[in-house]
Formats: sequence, structure tokens, C-alpha cells
Amino acid sequence: MALLDVQHLTQFFGGLRAVSDFNIQLEHGEIVGLIGPNGAGKTTVFNVITGVYTPTKGTIVFDGQNIVGKKTYQITQTGIARTFQNIRLFSKSSVIDNIKIAYHFHMSYSNTDAFLHTRKYWQGEQLVDDYAIDLLRLFHLEGHAADISGSLPYGAQRRLEIARALATKPKLLILDEPAAGMNPAEADELMEMIHWLRDKFDLTILLIEHQMRVVMGVCERIKVMDFGETICEGVPEYIRNDPRVCEAYLGKGA
Amino acid sequence: MTFLRAHRTIATVIAFVLVYAIIKALNLAGILNAYYIQLIMLVGINIVMTVSLGMVNGFTGQFSIGHAGFMAVGAYTSAMITTVWLHATTANPWVGYPVFIVAILAGGLMAAGAGYLVGAPSLRLKGDYLTIVTLSANELIRTVIRVTPVLGGPRGLGSIPKLTTLEVVFVFTIVSVVLMRNYLFSSYGRSMKAVRDSEIAAEAMAINTTRQKIFVFVFSAFFAGVSGGVFAHLLQFIHPDNFSFVKSLEYLIYLYVGGSASISGAIVGATVFTLLPELMRSLQSWRLVIYPLILIMVMIFRTEGIMGLKEFSFVLVPQRQRKEVSA
Repeated sequence: MALLDVQHLTQFFGGLRAVSDFNIQLEHGEIVGLIGPNGAGKTTVFNVITGVYTPTKGTIVFDGQNIVGKKTYQITQTGIARTFQNIRLFSKSSVIDNIKIAYHFHMSYSNTDAFLHTRKYWQGEQLVDDYAIDLLRLFHLEGHAADISGSLPYGAQRRLEIARALATKPKLLILDEPAAGMNPAEADELMEMIHWLRDKFDLTILLIEHQMRVVMGVCERIKVMDFGETICEGVPEYIRNDPRVCEAYLGKGA
Repeated sequence: MTFLRAHRTIATVIAFVLVYAIIKALNLAGILNAYYIQLIMLVGINIVMTVSLGMVNGFTGQFSIGHAGFMAVGAYTSAMITTVWLHATTANPWVGYPVFIVAILAGGLMAAGAGYLVGAPSLRLKGDYLTIVTLSANELIRTVIRVTPVLGGPRGLGSIPKLTTLEVVFVFTIVSVVLMRNYLFSSYGRSMKAVRDSEIAAEAMAINTTRQKIFVFVFSAFFAGVSGGVFAHLLQFIHPDNFSFVKSLEYLIYLYVGGSASISGAIVGATVFTLLPELMRSLQSWRLVIYPLILIMVMIFRTEGIMGLKEFSFVLVPQRQRKEVSA
């Protein structure tokens, strides 16, 4: 059975149809790309899957559970984590605290333990400290652990955002334009990292991306959207040569 | 680590006892008269009020402007309990103090209940709703007290037994601040800051932001209620106008001038700006010029408050987090 199964998803904003009859099935371990010109409805699809909007129509089944109507935090608890197109770190908190915040849902001490700093509190803190440092090390951020996250260089902030999403221990990772603002060298690094993430953390990855080089290089399957509709779907080579895709991006007669 | 922690705790306790001993000695030696002692007690109460307000405004990023309303709920609840139960037995401390403790805790719980009623509907929404609702709640509570004859109505409630002593304020202030500081340096405290920095991202990181906001608001109201109880038993007379919006505004000033996202800031703000107007009494009406001037200077030169995001780390930051402290 598919890890994520989205059927007939339709989203209206007032009279505007942002997404219509969108279907996608993600198998465990896949890396799938969602592309399309600006305003095609890609981010809306992400926002519907993560519970920011409740879809007008359609079903979303994740890992055997229907997640339509659930709140964002509940959906993350079922195992879907995301990053944001415009980085949204907890910018006044330290780098390590960003990770610890995302781990909060896995912490086992209660409010009372927090007020009284009981033995359970100290054990929990030790655990989350070790976990966070280990995770930061994997992303080469351990040297910045105590820095305020808003002060990191751009590339490091992007990496931290991915690390933070992983701290929720997801099964499905959704990346919203991870290569935005990156130069070719950084984008190459990112492509390597996405493959490494999938293997290391046993993830399924869904990503939106505008840099074709990244999309073609990293995705095993690509879905193309335009004006809220799916216009084409398939392996990168197929997408590259499809006339409908060229038309959507470049216009008729191109 | 445990060894270090124990040492630090002992050192902190000794420091507090020393401060208490010095104040008490100065009092007995006649250098600090009853007026100054009362002032010091007010500082303690204002510290707890400001730190608890900071939990909501500074660390969770919500904007509550009716904190005095919860103080009023606590003050009146506890005062009603002690005036009714301790009518004749005030002289006996063995009866007086247990009842007093029950009374201020009951006051705190009532205030927490009021906090829940105010916070639960308005904190579900993002944005400025809480500000408007807390402002109205503050005035609503004051008005209800004004028109309720049992509570003394517009004449105020008097003959409250004087149970608040320097020792009571000392223990109450330290325990309250330590509890709130502990909470702040926990996973829940980090979630509060996450809500402040980006509510959308916090929600996406599996944090139930609504529940976290309501919980903080409720325990903040609890501490305001307990402060109200201690306050009532210090002044022995409370009046609805003691708890008007102007009073809430004072706490907002203490908090933002001290540094809203810092416990140390709240303590500094509350201490300095409780003492300042009193110490400037000799300047007569000039103090009404100097006080706002100081506020303006702070606003211009230290936008984030006197302490900014910093803490006095020895007492206020747990050992293990000292190196990575953040606001």
C-alpha cells in the first residue's frame, strides 16, 4: 500500500480553483518532484497535505490513516514533516534549541516535571541534548549549536531547517523549494544530501523545486502542474521531452 | 554534574538567606524603617507580577494587557476567605498561617480559572484578539467587584488581617520565580519561544500551539492571583481601583523597560521602577518629569529593554544550559 495516497484533491479559495482533481501516490522510499510554473498550485497542495487548509473535496490517506481535517501539529505527529519556501526558523532561539523544539512531541516529562526539575526532567534533557548534538553533527552544524539561528549564513539555515524537520522523526519529508537562492555548487551538495537523507533516515521525499537541474537530478518521478491541474507525470526523461510541459513553462510555439 | 548542581543550589540558598539577613538586620538596627520594609515587600510582589506577565508577553509572544484583573481576583478571593475565617483568631499564628496559605492558593486558582475563561477562546485565534479581550476582562472584573456589595463594592474591602510579612514575601517571591524559571528552561519553555518566533513553524513541528498558549496564560494568571493575595494581606485594604487598567500598564512598563524576553529583565524592571518613584520623593513634582524621561531614554537607547535577551546566568540559568543560553 502507498505511504501517501491523495485522491481527487480539490481546493477552492472563494471562487478560485487553486487545485483541481489532484491525485498522487507515494511509495515508501521514493523521491518525487512536484513542478510547475508560478501559481500552478504546488504550495497549495503542500499546505493541504500538512493541514494548513482543509480541502474542499478529496481524500488524503497517510500510512493507513485518513488525515483530512486533522490539525497541522497532529499531521506532523503522524509522520509528515516539512520545510518552508521562505525559511521559518525559530530565529531568536539557538540552533540546538531549534532541534530540541522539534523533538518536543517525543519528550516524556510532564508540565509538573518541568516546574519542579525532577529527576525525570534531567533525564529527558540529557536525552534530548545528546540527540540534538548527534543530529547537528550529521549536518555539520555542531559548531554553531549555541549560536542564535537567525544569525547563521543562508545555506546553514537551509540545512538547519531540514535537520529540524527530521527531529520530529518523520516518515515523509516534504521540501518546499529547498534549492531556492542556492548557487550551482550548493545545489549539487543539496542533491547529494537528498539522496543521503532518504537512505540514512529511511524517508520518502516529496519536493517542490524550480531549478530544473535539481529536479531532474534528484527525483525518480515528477508530476507537473499548471493552473491547478496535473498536466503530465513520469520519469525525468519523459518529462523533459513532453510538449505539454514545454508549453506550460515557455508558452505556445516555443 | 549532580555534584555541581547541589553546590550551586546550596550557594544560591546561602545567597538568598544572606540578603534576607542583611535586610532584617538593617531593619532591627533602625536604618530601614517600616516604610522601607513595606516598599521592599511591594518590590517582591511586583517582581512576581512582572515575571508572570513576561511568561505570556515576552516568552510566548502574546500581548496580554489586563494582568491586574487576575491580581484582583486573587486578592479578593483570598481576602474574603481570611476575613471570614480568621475573624477572631488572627492573633494565633498556628491558625492564621495555614488559613492564609489556603486562601492565597485559592486566590491563585480562582485567577487561573478566570485566566482560562479569558484565554481559552481568544488564544485559539492568531493575532491581536487577546489584547482586546484582556483589556476588557480587566475592566469587567473591576466593574463586577464595584457593584458587588459582599466584596465591599466601591468602598473597598477593609480589615484584612496583616499576614504578609517580610519572610512571607521572601519565600513567595523566590519560590514563584524559581518555578517559572524552571518551566522556561524545559521542553515546554522552548515550545513557548517557538510559538513566539513562528507560530506556523511551531505548529508544523508537532507543537500543539493552542494548548501551550492557554497553559502559559493560565499559570501566569495563577501567579498573578497569588501575588494579589499577598498584596491584599500587606495593605489590609483593597479597592477595585487598585486593579484598574493603569495598574496593568505599570506592569507592562516594568516588563518592557526591563527586557520582556528575560526573567532578569523583569526582575530589574520591577525593582528599579517600584523603588524609583519612591526614592525620588524629595524631588517632589520633578519626579513626574524624570520618570518618563528615563523611560524615553531606555526606549531610545535599549529598544529591547535594559537586559535585552540576557539573563543573570548564575542564578537564573540551569548549569547545563549556561553555554547555550538564548532568549
